[in-house]
Amino acid sequence: MSEGVVHGAVYSVLIVTVVLTATAMALWFERKFAARLQTRLGPTMVGPSGLLQPVADLLKLLQKEDIVPENADPAIFNLVPPLAALVALGAAAVVPFSPSVVASDLDVGVLYVLAVGAVTVLPVFGAGWASNNKLALLGGMRAVAQSISYEVPLLLAAMVPVILSGSLRLGTIVQTQADHHWFVVWPFFIGLPAFGIFVLAMLAEANRIPFDIPEAESELVAGVTTEYTGMKFAIFLMAEYIHTLVASAVGAALFLGGWDGPFRPGLHWMVLKTLLLFTGLYWIRWSLLRFRADQLMGLCWKVLVPTGVLLVGAAAVWVVFR
Amino acid sequence: MTALPTVQITRRIDPHLSVDRYDPEGELMLLHFGPQHPSTHGVFRMDLYLDGEKVVKVVPHVGYLHRAVEKLCETLAYVQITPIVDKNDYVAPMTNEQALNMAFEAALKLEVPRRARWMRTIFAELQRIASHLLWLGTFALDLGGALGGGSTVFLHCFRERELVLDLFEEVTGARFHYNTHTIGGNRHDLPAGWSAKVHAALDLIGPRIDEYEAMTLQNRIFLDRTAGVGTLDAELALELGITGPILRACGVDHDLRRDAPFHAYDEVKVRVVTAQGGDCLARARVRLGEMRESVRLVREMVDGVPEGSINSGKPVKLPVQTKIPPGQVYVAIETPRGELGSYLISDGTQFPYRLKIRPPSLHALSALPYVIPGGTVSDAVAILGSMDPIMGEVDR
Amino acid sequence: MKGYLSSAARALATSFHNLLRKPVTVEFPKVIRPRAERYRASFALLHEDDGDEACIGCLQCERICPSQVIAIKAGGKRESPISGKKRGYADDFVLDLNACIYCELCVQVCPTDAIVMTREPELPAYGREDLVLTMARLYANEKSKHRAWGDATRLNGMQVPPKPPKVEATAAAPAKPAPAPSAGAAAATTSPSPGAAAGPAPSAGTAAPVAPSSPGAASVAPAAEGGSPAGPGGKGTT
Repeated sequence: MSEGVVHGAVYSVLIVTVVLTATAMALWFERKFAARLQTRLGPTMVGPSGLLQPVADLLKLLQKEDIVPENADPAIFNLVPPLAALVALGAAAVVPFSPSVVASDLDVGVLYVLAVGAVTVLPVFGAGWASNNKLALLGGMRAVAQSISYEVPLLLAAMVPVILSGSLRLGTIVQTQADHHWFVVWPFFIGLPAFGIFVLAMLAEANRIPFDIPEAESELVAGVTTEYTGMKFAIFLMAEYIHTLVASAVGAALFLGGWDGPFRPGLHWMVLKTLLLFTGLYWIRWSLLRFRADQLMGLCWKVLVPTGVLLVGAAAVWVVFR
Repeated sequence: MTALPTVQITRRIDPHLSVDRYDPEGELMLLHFGPQHPSTHGVFRMDLYLDGEKVVKVVPHVGYLHRAVEKLCETLAYVQITPIVDKNDYVAPMTNEQALNMAFEAALKLEVPRRARWMRTIFAELQRIASHLLWLGTFALDLGGALGGGSTVFLHCFRERELVLDLFEEVTGARFHYNTHTIGGNRHDLPAGWSAKVHAALDLIGPRIDEYEAMTLQNRIFLDRTAGVGTLDAELALELGITGPILRACGVDHDLRRDAPFHAYDEVKVRVVTAQGGDCLARARVRLGEMRESVRLVREMVDGVPEGSINSGKPVKLPVQTKIPPGQVYVAIETPRGELGSYLISDGTQFPYRLKIRPPSLHALSALPYVIPGGTVSDAVAILGSMDPIMGEVDR
Repeated sequence: MKGYLSSAARALATSFHNLLRKPVTVEFPKVIRPRAERYRASFALLHEDDGDEACIGCLQCERICPSQVIAIKAGGKRESPISGKKRGYADDFVLDLNACIYCELCVQVCPTDAIVMTREPELPAYGREDLVLTMARLYANEKSKHRAWGDATRLNGMQVPPKPPKVEATAAAPAKPAPAPSAGAAAATTSPSPGAAAGPAPSAGTAAPVAPSSPGAASVAPAAEGGSPAGPGGKGTT
């Protein structure tokens, strides 16, 4: 028992450190990538090719005035930003980065990931409520509606690898893919659409374009984060990046085979797949316009959920008749 | 104006809906949209009464950018007015200057030489391209967000806009606020090699318009956000005095360039772009079509600028002393936003007695209480973006 | 759903295409984008060729400025230290760039081409005082900054077609009445664009460019007939 605790503690610290560092790198990467998509250069001045830009951003945000609105609820207002980051980090605990590197390979790994994903809506709503700002409130309400609705396709899509591998444990899912085929490769007619639904639902959970209606800048100034300044705002931003990174890692584990690869399976494959998925998400973000709230809901309930149900059924049939 | 089948709306929204009577329990949320907001296209405030996400009533407030331009012009000599009214519609300054100088020329009964008229036409069409490019960029920003797909379109549009501004820099020396028109004609003549540069720039811009259409008019998400949103019927538009692309998107075939030609528009054929539907999508279609038409017109005209002087008046030693005999005159031109009119009352001195500018964006904004209610907050942003208001000319 | 997928695919493809394009960024301040010849940025006061100050303190620029940014202390008529003649001077000349709207009206109206604009690429300053151009700075800008193309003579010269010199008037007189916009066509051969060639005064300047065409003074008429009614006077514009 104690050995498991030590193992978990060590790997937790390791993973958190790595994820936070990766967030800083992701900041730089996103700005450069987005800039290239727009035929411009991105950060070039701070450090070689702008590599120290995240440091500069952090320092800038650190030295800003910390404003709490007069009628805001101070307890929730101040508590929410670190909570958002922590909850986003929580899902990384069960992701198998390699056959040996995993903080805690729970038997109910997938359930844990989905539960943590569901909890991520609470800090967002808390920020919307506690800010005492109508724009933030609108953003918070939209976030709740969107997140709760998109839980369902996320769950249905996550059920497909569970059914195909027969276990909720992420380590087993990755092992099954390593032994047979990645789920997007075979059966691709089940795995690929399920992966697509998973990506869309993940985008919606993370409030990314095209589903970023809760923090739509052009409509709600900054949505739920309108009243946040300085470091709290920085933590919110970080929480968003962490959520995307971790969700990419989960997606890579569930559908893309995790640490498996054509030759020498290991940690590097997991990192590569996470990065690829991450890049794809940013590519989508910087190319598409956003959905309106009711269109977003329509897409969820009228398209993604029926397809998800069909896919779960198909996966079950596949397993029975394989 | 020819009568085309236009959109008819039978039950019109009442913009003067009394919220107290409609909502006695005070369950509607009042949201002040602006004046500091990323999407209000300048300092503009809209009071939105919201029932959840649905907008029930809209009260627009203008005047945040009022700079007393008309009053200021009463103390300025006529030649000094041009650089001041440059700043009204700060996105299309060429047409501002042209409208004012046309009013002065009409009051003085000066005929502008043919070369100057051709140059003014070319400048106006190039300015139309630049203005519509800016509109497209900001509209995409409204729909897609400053951090996301909208900013990609925005940066592409500004990349092309720079080409047009470089052309203007070659001629006038300024990229914005040119002060290149004066009473009787233009101040700057075309430098050598300018038309070759124009062709080079249009060779870049022309195909990019196809790219913009692919990114917007053929994009399913864009269509979802703009089709059927903010439908304005032609009758209401005409009642409110709306002109320009908004009116043409309601199906009304009215364009001052063709119907009341000014500059050199009587020497070229302007193909007026109209669309059916009166919604945001129709307005987007009209503006993109106008961009193509402007590219075609400039290509047609830029090589054929006639020789001659660019100013019909003699250069006076003291242009400050130009006096306009008493009288009043109204002159209107077609800017990228609609009909911009200048109404001048002169009293024989070197200062105007009254100079009134009729901005097209003000009339466009007056349609907001009619078209926004019924939609959501997202629709409000899309509709405001599609009206393309410029607060500089709304408030003056 | 299909529409969404194809639109998304096309949007992603357009983005990807842009990924492969060369960035359009001009890396300021390593690279400074060249400004046009006529670009108007700041101001300079000039000296005459003989070294005397060109500004005669006539206050025309001060009067015409719409923003009233020029403040001149006229010095009255004094004897010039260089030419010995009595002429006006400006004792002090202050131009406030903070409020200037860069309309070029002061340049256009100057009778002695004393004030011109310069085309420096940028005008950074650490404080508002740095942007108030004193007389010393204005005269220093004469040598230290690139001048914009426009000065009063050139700007006014662009607006008036230069008159043909009297020598050609008799030879061209029979040809002149024939085509109506012949005055404009005469300008066509000298062409509006090399206004620089038109030089300071119309009569002095046109002697040079018109001379080569003097045997073609008779050719002015057919050229004009061919040029103006047909419209495309492309000879002159490019």
